[in-house]
Amino acid sequence: MLGAVLERDTRVTGDLDWALMSTETPAQGDDTTGTETRVERDDTIGTETPDAAAPLQGDELRTLFEEQALPYMDQLYAAAMRMTRNPADAADLVQETFVKAFQAFKQFQQGTNLKAWLYRIQTNTFINTYRKKQRDPFQGSIDELEEWQVGGAESITQSMTTRSAEAEAIDHLPDSDVKEALQAVPEDFRLAVYLADVEGFSYQDIADIMKTPVGTVMSRLHRGRRMLRELLADYARERGIVAAPTSSRSTK
Amino acid sequence: MTDCGCDKAKAELEEYLHRELSPEDFQDITDHLDHCEDCSTEHLVGLTLTMKMQKACKETAPEELRAAILARLENAR
Repeated sequence: MLGAVLERDTRVTGDLDWALMSTETPAQGDDTTGTETRVERDDTIGTETPDAAAPLQGDELRTLFEEQALPYMDQLYAAAMRMTRNPADAADLVQETFVKAFQAFKQFQQGTNLKAWLYRIQTNTFINTYRKKQRDPFQGSIDELEEWQVGGAESITQSMTTRSAEAEAIDHLPDSDVKEALQAVPEDFRLAVYLADVEGFSYQDIADIMKTPVGTVMSRLHRGRRMLRELLADYARERGIVAAPTSSRSTK
Repeated sequence: MTDCGCDKAKAELEEYLHRELSPEDFQDITDHLDHCEDCSTEHLVGLTLTMKMQKACKETAPEELRAAILARLENAR
């Protein structure tokens, strides 16, 4: 029964289904009453039901939203920069995210993970709108990537000294190199890496945000990080930071 | 103390780094890293990569964006 309600909502609200879904996910196990959730969900499909708990309206709702959600603006903007790869689109994306989040905020279940909820909306918005506009050669399907990134496995077999040199080199690279390398990693991998490493989301949160199974999150994360290591090793060599000889990289 | 060995440690380093292991596995890997220099340098690379990304990806939203969002929220009621 709940499933049917959800399904209807999904169709009606389109890409806001992410936002609604989050009320189903007890992100931090801090649940309020189920009935209240369902009443509010009906609300979104147009059957205005007077709620006993008198939900926040107007200014109060906006104040609460501003207090709780706006502090994530810098983080969402940083993520948007990595998603869209340019400041203008990033600003548009974040603005769109906040507007959608505010529209759906009545359905947000207080006490659950607001940050993950906001990221879900932003990621979904990005995938539905901005990604369509941003066709570029890196956006190929995962299968097409096999060829050039699989070679990363060799870094695992590097010798110990090479690896400590690698850590040191990464540490010495300018931030701009790290951002550039991230930009070069294909989107699905980049997102998984960003959400795990920069934002510290759990695999389960990332799976929810990206709408993929946890196993997919893990493989994207591993491969994305491997690509990043490869790229950074290249940059380090180009900058003469690392003394590691290129030829012997995979010999031990 | 039984050592979980390099194979298990290397296979699970990423999950170790991302705190996705059970407490038992986490402890096993921690114990192994304590006395295996090979695995701990591998872990160091992973850790360095993560910390470097966290530092490099910091951004501050432009002031105009903040103003634009506040204006849209004002009108969105």
